[in-house]
Amino acid sequence: MHHAYIDKFAYQDSAIHRLDSRVKFLVVLVFTAVVISLPRMSLSILACYAVGPFAVLVWAGIPLRFVFKQILLVSPFVLVLALSCPLYDRTPVVVGFGPFFWQTTTGWLRCFAILGKFVVTMFALIVLVSTTRFNDLLAGLQWLGVPRLLIIQLGFLYRYIFVLIDRAHHILLARAGRKLKNLGFKNELRTAASMLGSLFVRSIDTAEHISIAMQARGFDGSWHTLSKLHIRRCDVFFVLVAALFISGLYLLVRPILT
Amino acid sequence: MIAMSKAIVIENFTYRYPDGTAALSDITLSVEHGQKVALIGPNGAGKSTLLLVMAGFVKGTGKVFVDGMEVNGANLKKIRTCLGACLENPDDQLFMPTLFDDVAFGPLNMGLTPDQVKARVADALTTVGLAQMADKAPHHLSAGQKRAAAVATILAMSPKIITLDEPDGSLDPRNRDNLMNLLRSLPQTLIIATCNMRFAAALADRAVLLDKGRIIADGGADEIMSDSALMAEHGLEVAAKKTK
Repeated sequence: MHHAYIDKFAYQDSAIHRLDSRVKFLVVLVFTAVVISLPRMSLSILACYAVGPFAVLVWAGIPLRFVFKQILLVSPFVLVLALSCPLYDRTPVVVGFGPFFWQTTTGWLRCFAILGKFVVTMFALIVLVSTTRFNDLLAGLQWLGVPRLLIIQLGFLYRYIFVLIDRAHHILLARAGRKLKNLGFKNELRTAASMLGSLFVRSIDTAEHISIAMQARGFDGSWHTLSKLHIRRCDVFFVLVAALFISGLYLLVRPILT
Repeated sequence: MIAMSKAIVIENFTYRYPDGTAALSDITLSVEHGQKVALIGPNGAGKSTLLLVMAGFVKGTGKVFVDGMEVNGANLKKIRTCLGACLENPDDQLFMPTLFDDVAFGPLNMGLTPDQVKARVADALTTVGLAQMADKAPHHLSAGQKRAAAVATILAMSPKIITLDEPDGSLDPRNRDNLMNLLRSLPQTLIIATCNMRFAAALADRAVLLDKGRIIADGGADEIMSDSALMAEHGLEVAAKKTK
Protein backbone atom coordinates (compact mmCIF):
# COMPACT_ATOMS: atom_id res chain seq x y z
CA MET A 1 0.00 0.00 0.00
CA HIS A 2 1.19 3.51 -0.75
CA HIS A 3 1.78 5.78 2.23
CA ALA A 4 2.55 9.48 2.49
CA TYR A 5 5.89 9.08 4.26
CA ILE A 6 7.00 12.22 6.06
CA ASP A 7 10.53 11.75 4.73
CA LYS A 8 9.59 10.73 1.20
CA PHE A 9 11.85 13.40 -0.36
CA ALA A 10 14.71 12.55 1.98
CA TYR A 11 15.84 9.82 -0.44
CA GLN A 12 16.68 12.37 -3.15
CA ASP A 13 20.25 13.51 -3.64
CA SER A 14 21.44 17.11 -3.25
CA ALA A 15 24.11 19.01 -1.36
CA ILE A 16 21.55 19.67 1.39
CA HIS A 17 20.55 15.99 1.55
CA ARG A 18 24.19 15.02 1.98
CA LEU A 19 24.73 17.29 5.00
CA ASP A 20 25.21 15.65 8.39
CA SER A 21 21.90 15.19 10.23
CA ARG A 22 23.30 16.66 13.46
CA VAL A 23 24.32 19.85 11.68
CA LYS A 24 20.91 20.24 10.07
CA PHE A 25 19.12 19.51 13.32
CA LEU A 26 21.15 22.04 15.33
CA VAL A 27 20.83 24.77 12.68
CA VAL A 28 17.04 24.25 12.49
CA LEU A 29 16.82 24.27 16.29
CA VAL A 30 18.71 27.58 16.62
CA PHE A 31 16.84 29.09 13.66
CA THR A 32 13.47 28.15 15.20
CA ALA A 33 14.45 29.53 18.61
CA VAL A 34 15.55 32.84 17.07
CA VAL A 35 12.42 33.18 14.92
CA ILE A 36 10.13 32.41 17.86
CA SER A 37 11.93 34.98 20.03
CA LEU A 38 11.46 37.81 17.50
CA PRO A 39 9.25 40.68 18.75
CA ARG A 40 5.69 40.41 17.48
CA MET A 41 5.89 43.78 15.70
CA SER A 42 8.76 42.76 13.41
CA LEU A 43 6.86 41.20 10.52
CA SER A 44 9.31 42.54 7.95
CA ILE A 45 12.30 40.80 9.54
CA LEU A 46 10.21 37.64 9.68
CA ALA A 47 9.87 37.86 5.90
CA CYS A 48 13.68 38.20 5.67
CA TYR A 49 14.12 35.09 7.82
CA ALA A 50 11.74 33.16 5.55
CA VAL A 51 14.18 33.61 2.64
CA GLY A 52 16.76 31.24 4.22
CA PRO A 53 14.74 28.02 4.59
CA PHE A 54 12.79 28.80 1.42
CA ALA A 55 16.02 29.03 -0.59
CA VAL A 56 17.25 25.75 0.94
CA LEU A 57 13.95 24.03 0.04
CA VAL A 58 14.30 25.16 -3.57
CA TRP A 59 17.98 24.16 -3.65
CA ALA A 60 17.17 20.70 -2.27
CA GLY A 61 14.51 20.23 -4.94
CA ILE A 62 11.60 19.80 -2.53
CA PRO A 63 8.37 20.52 -4.44
CA LEU A 64 6.79 23.69 -3.06
CA ARG A 65 3.34 22.18 -3.54
CA PHE A 66 4.32 19.46 -1.03
CA VAL A 67 5.71 22.11 1.36
CA PHE A 68 2.52 24.19 1.35
CA LYS A 69 0.37 21.07 1.63
CA GLN A 70 2.27 20.05 4.76
CA ILE A 71 1.86 23.55 6.21
CA LEU A 72 -1.88 23.53 5.44
CA LEU A 73 -2.19 20.12 7.10
CA VAL A 74 -0.91 21.43 10.43
CA SER A 75 -2.33 24.95 10.12
CA PRO A 76 -5.82 24.45 11.67
CA PHE A 77 -4.35 24.23 15.16
CA VAL A 78 -2.34 27.43 14.73
CA LEU A 79 -5.13 29.21 12.87
CA VAL A 80 -7.50 28.83 15.81
CA LEU A 81 -4.89 30.31 18.13
CA ALA A 82 -3.93 33.15 15.78
CA LEU A 83 -7.47 34.16 14.82
CA SER A 84 -8.51 34.40 18.44
CA CYS A 85 -5.96 37.22 19.03
CA PRO A 86 -7.94 40.04 17.29
CA LEU A 87 -10.95 39.13 19.41
CA TYR A 88 -9.40 39.83 22.79
CA ASP A 89 -6.72 42.45 22.02
CA ARG A 90 -8.25 45.48 20.29
CA THR A 91 -5.70 48.15 21.31
CA PRO A 92 -5.34 50.51 18.30
CA VAL A 93 -1.90 50.78 16.80
CA VAL A 94 -0.42 52.53 13.75
CA VAL A 95 1.87 50.45 11.58
CA GLY A 96 4.04 51.55 8.71
CA PHE A 97 5.84 50.04 5.77
CA GLY A 98 8.06 52.49 3.89
CA PRO A 99 5.98 55.58 3.09
CA PHE A 100 2.67 53.83 3.91
CA PHE A 101 0.96 54.00 7.33
CA TRP A 102 -2.34 52.55 8.48
CA GLN A 103 -4.21 51.84 11.69
CA THR A 104 -4.98 48.38 12.99
CA THR A 105 -5.14 46.60 16.37
CA THR A 106 -2.42 44.83 18.35
CA GLY A 107 -4.53 41.67 18.11
CA TRP A 108 -4.21 41.58 14.33
CA LEU A 109 -0.47 42.23 14.57
CA ARG A 110 -0.17 39.37 17.01
CA CYS A 111 -2.26 37.17 14.70
CA PHE A 112 0.01 37.82 11.71
CA ALA A 113 3.12 37.39 13.83
CA ILE A 114 1.92 33.95 14.99
CA LEU A 115 1.02 32.92 11.45
CA GLY A 116 4.30 34.29 10.05
CA LYS A 117 6.42 32.54 12.66
CA PHE A 118 4.47 29.34 12.09
CA VAL A 119 5.08 29.39 8.34
CA VAL A 120 8.78 30.28 8.66
CA THR A 121 9.49 27.65 11.32
CA MET A 122 7.52 25.08 9.30
CA PHE A 123 9.74 25.87 6.30
CA ALA A 124 12.76 25.08 8.46
CA LEU A 125 11.20 21.93 9.87
CA ILE A 126 10.23 20.69 6.41
CA VAL A 127 13.81 21.34 5.25
CA LEU A 128 15.03 19.11 8.06
CA VAL A 129 12.53 16.29 7.59
CA SER A 130 12.52 16.33 3.78
CA THR A 131 16.28 16.29 3.38
CA THR A 132 17.19 13.91 6.20
CA ARG A 133 16.31 10.24 6.31
CA PHE A 134 14.48 9.38 9.49
CA ASN A 135 17.11 6.87 10.60
CA ASP A 136 19.89 9.45 10.07
CA LEU A 137 17.88 11.96 12.08
CA LEU A 138 17.52 9.41 14.88
CA ALA A 139 21.24 8.64 14.77
CA GLY A 140 21.96 12.37 14.97
CA LEU A 141 19.57 12.85 17.87
CA GLN A 142 21.18 9.94 19.68
CA TRP A 143 24.61 11.49 19.20
CA LEU A 144 23.25 14.78 20.56
CA GLY A 145 22.26 13.06 23.79
CA VAL A 146 18.59 12.19 23.32
CA PRO A 147 17.94 9.09 25.52
CA ARG A 148 18.56 5.84 23.65
CA LEU A 149 15.25 4.35 24.81
CA LEU A 150 13.36 7.23 23.19
CA ILE A 151 15.37 6.81 19.99
CA ILE A 152 14.59 3.08 19.87
CA GLN A 153 10.90 3.79 20.46
CA LEU A 154 10.84 6.42 17.72
CA GLY A 155 12.58 3.98 15.38
CA PHE A 156 10.01 1.27 16.06
CA LEU A 157 7.18 3.80 15.76
CA TYR A 158 8.38 4.89 12.33
CA ARG A 159 8.97 1.29 11.22
CA TYR A 160 5.61 -0.08 12.33
CA ILE A 161 3.19 2.85 12.03
CA PHE A 162 2.71 2.00 8.34
CA VAL A 163 2.19 -1.69 9.10
CA LEU A 164 -0.46 -0.67 11.63
CA ILE A 165 -2.12 1.75 9.19
CA ASP A 166 -2.23 -1.05 6.59
CA ARG A 167 -3.87 -3.39 9.06
CA ALA A 168 -6.41 -0.76 10.12
CA HIS A 169 -7.16 -0.11 6.45
CA HIS A 170 -7.70 -3.84 5.80
CA ILE A 171 -10.05 -4.09 8.78
CA LEU A 172 -12.00 -1.08 7.50
CA LEU A 173 -12.22 -2.67 4.05
CA ALA A 174 -13.47 -5.93 5.55
CA ARG A 175 -16.12 -4.00 7.47
CA ALA A 176 -17.15 -1.94 4.46
CA GLY A 177 -17.49 -5.12 2.38
CA ARG A 178 -20.02 -6.60 4.78
CA LYS A 179 -21.78 -3.48 6.05
CA LEU A 180 -24.80 -3.32 3.78
CA LYS A 181 -26.92 -0.87 5.77
CA ASN A 182 -26.65 1.80 8.42
CA LEU A 183 -26.08 -0.01 11.69
CA GLY A 184 -27.09 2.81 13.98
CA PHE A 185 -24.90 4.68 16.43
CA LYS A 186 -24.83 1.99 19.12
CA ASN A 187 -23.92 -0.83 16.74
CA GLU A 188 -21.37 1.32 14.90
CA LEU A 189 -19.73 2.04 18.23
CA ARG A 190 -19.71 -1.65 19.11
CA THR A 191 -18.17 -2.52 15.73
CA ALA A 192 -15.54 0.20 16.13
CA ALA A 193 -14.65 -1.13 19.59
CA SER A 194 -14.23 -4.66 18.17
CA MET A 195 -12.06 -3.35 15.35
CA LEU A 196 -9.86 -1.43 17.77
CA GLY A 197 -9.64 -4.51 19.98
CA SER A 198 -8.59 -6.65 17.02
CA LEU A 199 -5.96 -4.09 16.04
CA PHE A 200 -4.67 -4.01 19.61
CA VAL A 201 -4.42 -7.80 19.88
CA ARG A 202 -2.60 -7.99 16.54
CA SER A 203 -0.22 -5.25 17.69
CA ILE A 204 0.64 -7.26 20.78
CA ASP A 205 1.14 -10.31 18.56
CA THR A 206 3.48 -8.34 16.30
CA ALA A 207 5.41 -7.03 19.31
CA GLU A 208 5.90 -10.62 20.51
CA HIS A 209 7.15 -11.71 17.10
CA ILE A 210 9.56 -8.77 16.89
CA SER A 211 10.86 -9.66 20.32
CA ILE A 212 11.47 -13.24 19.12
CA ALA A 213 13.19 -11.96 15.94
CA MET A 214 15.44 -9.73 18.06
CA GLN A 215 16.36 -12.45 20.54
CA ALA A 216 16.94 -14.92 17.72
CA ARG A 217 19.67 -12.57 16.50
CA GLY A 218 21.39 -12.34 19.83
CA PHE A 219 19.66 -9.29 21.36
CA ASP A 220 20.28 -9.27 25.11
CA GLY A 221 18.97 -5.83 26.04
CA SER A 222 21.91 -3.73 24.87
CA TRP A 223 21.43 -1.91 21.58
CA HIS A 224 24.38 -1.86 19.15
CA THR A 225 24.42 0.20 15.96
CA LEU A 226 27.11 1.30 13.53
CA SER A 227 27.46 5.07 13.32
CA LYS A 228 27.52 6.39 9.76
CA LEU A 229 27.69 10.05 10.81
CA HIS A 230 30.70 12.17 9.96
CA ILE A 231 31.27 15.92 9.76
CA ARG A 232 32.83 17.11 6.50
CA ARG A 233 34.00 20.47 5.25
CA CYS A 234 30.66 21.21 3.58
CA ASP A 235 28.92 20.71 6.96
CA VAL A 236 31.21 23.29 8.57
CA PHE A 237 30.58 25.66 5.65
CA PHE A 238 26.80 25.19 6.02
CA VAL A 239 26.99 25.97 9.75
CA LEU A 240 29.02 29.13 9.04
CA VAL A 241 26.58 30.36 6.38
CA ALA A 242 23.59 29.58 8.60
CA ALA A 243 25.19 31.32 11.60
CA LEU A 244 25.96 34.38 9.48
CA PHE A 245 22.43 34.46 8.12
CA ILE A 246 20.69 34.01 11.48
CA SER A 247 22.92 36.31 13.54
CA GLY A 248 23.39 38.85 10.71
CA LEU A 249 19.66 39.38 10.39
CA TYR A 250 19.23 39.47 14.13
CA LEU A 251 22.04 41.90 14.92
CA LEU A 252 22.24 44.12 11.84
CA VAL A 253 18.95 44.25 9.99
CA ARG A 254 16.63 43.98 12.99
CA PRO A 255 17.48 47.40 14.52
CA ILE A 256 16.92 49.03 11.12
CA LEU A 257 13.63 47.34 10.42
CA THR A 258 12.20 47.80 13.90
CA MET B 1 27.29 -37.87 22.59
CA ILE B 2 24.95 -38.94 19.78
CA ALA B 3 23.66 -35.38 19.77
CA MET B 4 27.16 -34.04 19.00
CA SER B 5 27.16 -35.30 15.42
CA LYS B 6 23.71 -33.98 14.55
CA ALA B 7 22.41 -30.54 13.71
CA ILE B 8 19.20 -31.01 15.69
CA VAL B 9 18.16 -33.70 18.14
CA ILE B 10 14.78 -33.61 19.85
CA GLU B 11 13.92 -36.33 22.33
CA ASN B 12 10.37 -36.98 23.55
CA PHE B 13 9.43 -33.32 23.53
CA THR B 14 5.95 -32.32 24.62
CA TYR B 15 4.53 -28.83 24.90
CA ARG B 16 1.09 -27.61 25.90
CA TYR B 17 -0.34 -24.13 25.50
CA PRO B 18 -1.24 -22.34 28.74
CA ASP B 19 -4.90 -23.39 28.24
CA GLY B 20 -3.85 -27.06 28.27
CA THR B 21 -4.16 -27.74 24.52
CA ALA B 22 -1.38 -30.01 23.32
CA ALA B 23 0.72 -28.15 20.74
CA LEU B 24 3.44 -30.80 20.41
CA SER B 25 3.19 -34.36 21.71
CA ASP B 26 6.14 -36.67 22.22
CA ILE B 27 8.24 -35.34 19.35
CA THR B 28 11.43 -37.24 18.60
CA LEU B 29 13.43 -36.01 15.65
CA SER B 30 17.02 -35.74 14.54
CA VAL B 31 18.43 -33.77 11.63
CA GLU B 32 21.90 -34.32 10.16
CA HIS B 33 24.18 -31.45 9.23
CA GLY B 34 23.66 -30.28 5.65
CA GLN B 35 20.20 -31.84 5.33
CA LYS B 36 17.33 -29.89 3.82
CA VAL B 37 14.24 -30.87 5.73
CA ALA B 38 10.66 -29.83 5.01
CA LEU B 39 8.30 -29.75 7.97
CA ILE B 40 4.96 -30.26 6.28
CA GLY B 41 1.48 -30.38 7.70
CA PRO B 42 -1.85 -28.60 7.70
CA ASN B 43 -2.45 -25.28 9.49
CA GLY B 44 -2.21 -25.66 13.24
CA ALA B 45 -0.16 -28.87 13.00
CA GLY B 46 2.59 -27.45 15.23
CA LYS B 47 5.23 -26.69 12.58
CA SER B 48 5.92 -23.10 13.69
CA THR B 49 5.94 -24.14 17.34
CA LEU B 50 8.48 -26.86 16.57
CA LEU B 51 10.75 -24.29 14.90
CA LEU B 52 10.44 -22.08 17.99
CA VAL B 53 11.37 -25.07 20.15
CA MET B 54 14.59 -25.52 18.16
CA ALA B 55 15.51 -21.86 18.69
CA GLY B 56 14.82 -22.12 22.41
CA PHE B 57 11.74 -19.91 22.50
CA VAL B 58 9.33 -22.59 23.67
CA LYS B 59 10.01 -24.67 26.74
CA GLY B 60 8.32 -27.99 27.41
CA THR B 61 9.21 -31.45 28.63
CA GLY B 62 11.88 -33.46 26.83
CA LYS B 63 15.34 -32.62 25.54
CA VAL B 64 16.43 -30.51 22.60
CA PHE B 65 20.00 -30.31 21.29
CA VAL B 66 21.27 -27.91 18.64
CA ASP B 67 24.69 -28.72 17.18
CA GLY B 68 25.41 -30.81 20.25
CA MET B 69 24.42 -28.13 22.75
CA GLU B 70 21.42 -28.70 24.97
CA VAL B 71 18.86 -25.91 24.63
CA ASN B 72 18.82 -24.21 28.02
CA GLY B 73 19.34 -20.72 29.45
CA ALA B 74 23.12 -21.12 29.68
CA ASN B 75 23.53 -22.10 26.01
CA LEU B 76 20.97 -19.81 24.41
CA LYS B 77 23.42 -17.21 23.11
CA LYS B 78 25.64 -19.85 21.48
CA ILE B 79 22.60 -21.66 20.09
CA ARG B 80 21.21 -18.50 18.50
CA THR B 81 24.55 -17.84 16.85
CA CYS B 82 24.50 -21.37 15.47
CA LEU B 83 20.81 -21.51 14.50
CA GLY B 84 19.20 -18.66 12.56
CA ALA B 85 15.44 -18.47 12.86
CA CYS B 86 13.52 -16.70 10.10
CA LEU B 87 9.95 -15.85 11.09
CA GLU B 88 6.86 -16.24 8.93
CA ASN B 89 6.15 -12.53 8.47
CA PRO B 90 9.16 -10.58 7.14
CA ASP B 91 7.71 -7.42 8.69
CA ASP B 92 8.38 -9.00 12.08
CA GLN B 93 11.90 -9.97 11.05
CA LEU B 94 12.84 -6.55 9.63
CA PHE B 95 12.45 -4.14 12.53
CA MET B 96 15.28 -1.66 11.99
CA PRO B 97 14.99 1.65 10.10
CA THR B 98 17.20 0.55 7.18
CA LEU B 99 18.07 -2.74 5.56
CA PHE B 100 21.74 -2.24 6.43
CA ASP B 101 20.94 -1.78 10.13
CA ASP B 102 18.66 -4.80 10.05
CA VAL B 103 21.25 -7.12 8.52
CA ALA B 104 23.93 -5.67 10.82
CA PHE B 105 21.80 -6.23 13.94
CA GLY B 106 22.81 -9.89 14.43
CA PRO B 107 26.56 -9.51 13.68
CA LEU B 108 26.74 -6.50 16.05
CA ASN B 109 25.15 -8.56 18.81
CA MET B 110 27.75 -11.25 18.14
CA GLY B 111 30.39 -8.70 19.13
CA LEU B 112 32.08 -8.43 15.72
CA THR B 113 34.15 -5.36 14.84
CA PRO B 114 32.59 -2.64 12.63
CA ASP B 115 34.69 -3.76 9.63
CA GLN B 116 33.66 -7.39 10.07
CA VAL B 117 30.03 -6.33 10.42
CA LYS B 118 30.20 -4.27 7.21
CA ALA B 119 31.77 -7.19 5.35
CA ARG B 120 29.12 -9.61 6.62
CA VAL B 121 26.30 -7.23 5.67
CA ALA B 122 27.74 -6.73 2.19
CA ASP B 123 28.15 -10.50 1.68
CA ALA B 124 24.65 -11.32 2.93
CA LEU B 125 22.99 -8.63 0.82
CA THR B 126 24.95 -9.69 -2.26
CA THR B 127 23.93 -13.33 -1.72
CA VAL B 128 20.22 -12.42 -1.69
CA GLY B 129 20.60 -9.89 -4.52
CA LEU B 130 19.87 -6.77 -2.50
CA ALA B 131 23.33 -5.19 -2.45
CA GLN B 132 22.00 -1.94 -3.93
CA MET B 133 19.21 -1.67 -1.35
CA ALA B 134 21.27 -1.37 1.85
CA ASP B 135 20.07 2.16 2.63
CA LYS B 136 16.41 1.45 1.91
CA ALA B 137 13.83 1.38 4.67
CA PRO B 138 12.20 -2.08 4.96
CA HIS B 139 8.73 -0.64 4.32
CA HIS B 140 9.96 0.52 0.90
CA LEU B 141 10.72 -3.06 -0.20
CA SER B 142 8.41 -5.36 -2.16
CA ALA B 143 7.13 -8.62 -0.63
CA GLY B 144 9.80 -10.66 -2.46
CA GLN B 145 12.57 -8.27 -1.44
CA LYS B 146 11.38 -8.33 2.17
CA ARG B 147 11.54 -12.12 2.17
CA ALA B 148 15.05 -12.10 0.69
CA ALA B 149 16.08 -9.41 3.19
CA ALA B 150 14.75 -11.53 6.05
CA VAL B 151 16.97 -14.39 4.87
CA ALA B 152 19.92 -11.96 4.65
CA THR B 153 19.45 -10.98 8.31
CA ILE B 154 20.06 -14.63 9.17
CA LEU B 155 22.86 -15.26 6.65
CA ALA B 156 24.87 -12.34 8.06
CA MET B 157 25.26 -14.30 11.28
CA SER B 158 26.72 -17.29 9.34
CA PRO B 159 24.66 -19.89 11.20
CA LYS B 160 25.15 -23.61 10.63
CA ILE B 161 21.40 -24.22 10.72
CA ILE B 162 18.61 -22.07 9.29
CA THR B 163 14.94 -22.50 10.12
CA LEU B 164 12.36 -20.83 7.90
CA ASP B 165 8.68 -20.54 8.72
CA GLU B 166 6.44 -20.51 5.61
CA PRO B 167 9.08 -18.70 3.54
CA ASP B 168 6.98 -18.87 0.36
CA GLY B 169 3.95 -17.15 1.91
CA SER B 170 2.45 -14.30 -0.19
CA LEU B 171 5.13 -14.60 -2.89
CA ASP B 172 4.33 -14.56 -6.60
CA PRO B 173 5.77 -17.41 -8.73
CA ARG B 174 8.80 -15.42 -9.88
CA ASN B 175 9.75 -14.36 -6.36
CA ARG B 176 9.07 -17.89 -5.12
CA ASP B 177 11.45 -19.28 -7.77
CA ASN B 178 14.08 -16.69 -6.82
CA LEU B 179 13.77 -17.63 -3.16
CA MET B 180 13.88 -21.32 -4.03
CA ASN B 181 17.10 -20.86 -6.01
CA LEU B 182 18.60 -18.85 -3.17
CA LEU B 183 17.72 -21.48 -0.56
CA ARG B 184 18.95 -24.28 -2.80
CA SER B 185 22.32 -22.56 -3.09
CA LEU B 186 22.83 -22.32 0.68
CA PRO B 187 25.21 -24.90 2.16
CA GLN B 188 23.60 -24.72 5.62
CA THR B 189 21.22 -27.20 7.20
CA LEU B 190 17.75 -25.96 6.27
CA ILE B 191 14.55 -26.73 8.14
CA ILE B 192 11.57 -25.29 6.32
CA ALA B 193 8.03 -25.29 7.66
CA THR B 194 5.54 -25.05 4.81
CA CYS B 195 2.09 -26.05 3.60
CA ASN B 196 3.18 -25.65 -0.02
CA MET B 197 4.10 -29.13 -1.22
CA ARG B 198 5.57 -27.97 -4.53
CA PHE B 199 7.90 -25.61 -2.68
CA ALA B 200 8.82 -28.33 -0.17
CA ALA B 201 9.36 -30.95 -2.87
CA ALA B 202 11.60 -28.67 -4.89
CA LEU B 203 13.84 -27.87 -1.92
CA ALA B 204 13.91 -30.69 0.56
CA ASP B 205 15.47 -34.12 0.46
CA ARG B 206 13.63 -35.18 3.58
CA ALA B 207 10.09 -34.49 4.76
CA VAL B 208 8.59 -34.68 8.23
CA LEU B 209 4.80 -34.73 8.28
CA LEU B 210 3.24 -33.21 11.38
CA ASP B 211 -0.43 -33.16 12.31
CA LYS B 212 -2.12 -32.26 15.59
CA GLY B 213 1.27 -31.85 17.24
CA ARG B 214 2.54 -35.34 16.38
CA ILE B 215 5.01 -36.63 13.83
CA ILE B 216 2.96 -38.74 11.42
CA ALA B 217 5.64 -39.62 8.88
CA ASP B 218 9.35 -39.02 8.43
CA GLY B 219 11.33 -39.99 5.36
CA GLY B 220 12.40 -39.08 1.85
CA ALA B 221 10.63 -36.00 0.52
CA ASP B 222 9.62 -37.66 -2.77
CA GLU B 223 8.37 -40.76 -1.02
CA ILE B 224 6.20 -38.96 1.54
CA MET B 225 4.89 -36.18 -0.64
CA SER B 226 3.87 -38.51 -3.45
CA ASP B 227 1.80 -40.72 -1.12
CA SER B 228 -1.63 -39.48 -2.15
CA ALA B 229 -3.50 -41.37 0.58
CA LEU B 230 -1.25 -39.98 3.33
CA MET B 231 -1.38 -36.47 1.94
CA ALA B 232 -5.16 -36.50 1.53
CA GLU B 233 -5.65 -37.87 5.05
CA HIS B 234 -3.86 -34.84 6.46
CA GLY B 235 -5.38 -32.23 4.18
CA LEU B 236 -2.33 -31.80 1.96
CA GLU B 237 -1.79 -32.00 -1.77
CA VAL B 238 0.46 -34.43 -3.60
CA ALA B 239 3.65 -32.87 -4.89
CA ALA B 240 5.13 -33.65 -8.27
CA LYS B 241 8.36 -35.66 -8.06
CA LYS B 242 11.53 -33.62 -7.97
CA THR B 243 13.28 -33.21 -11.29
CA LYS B 244 17.01 -33.68 -10.88
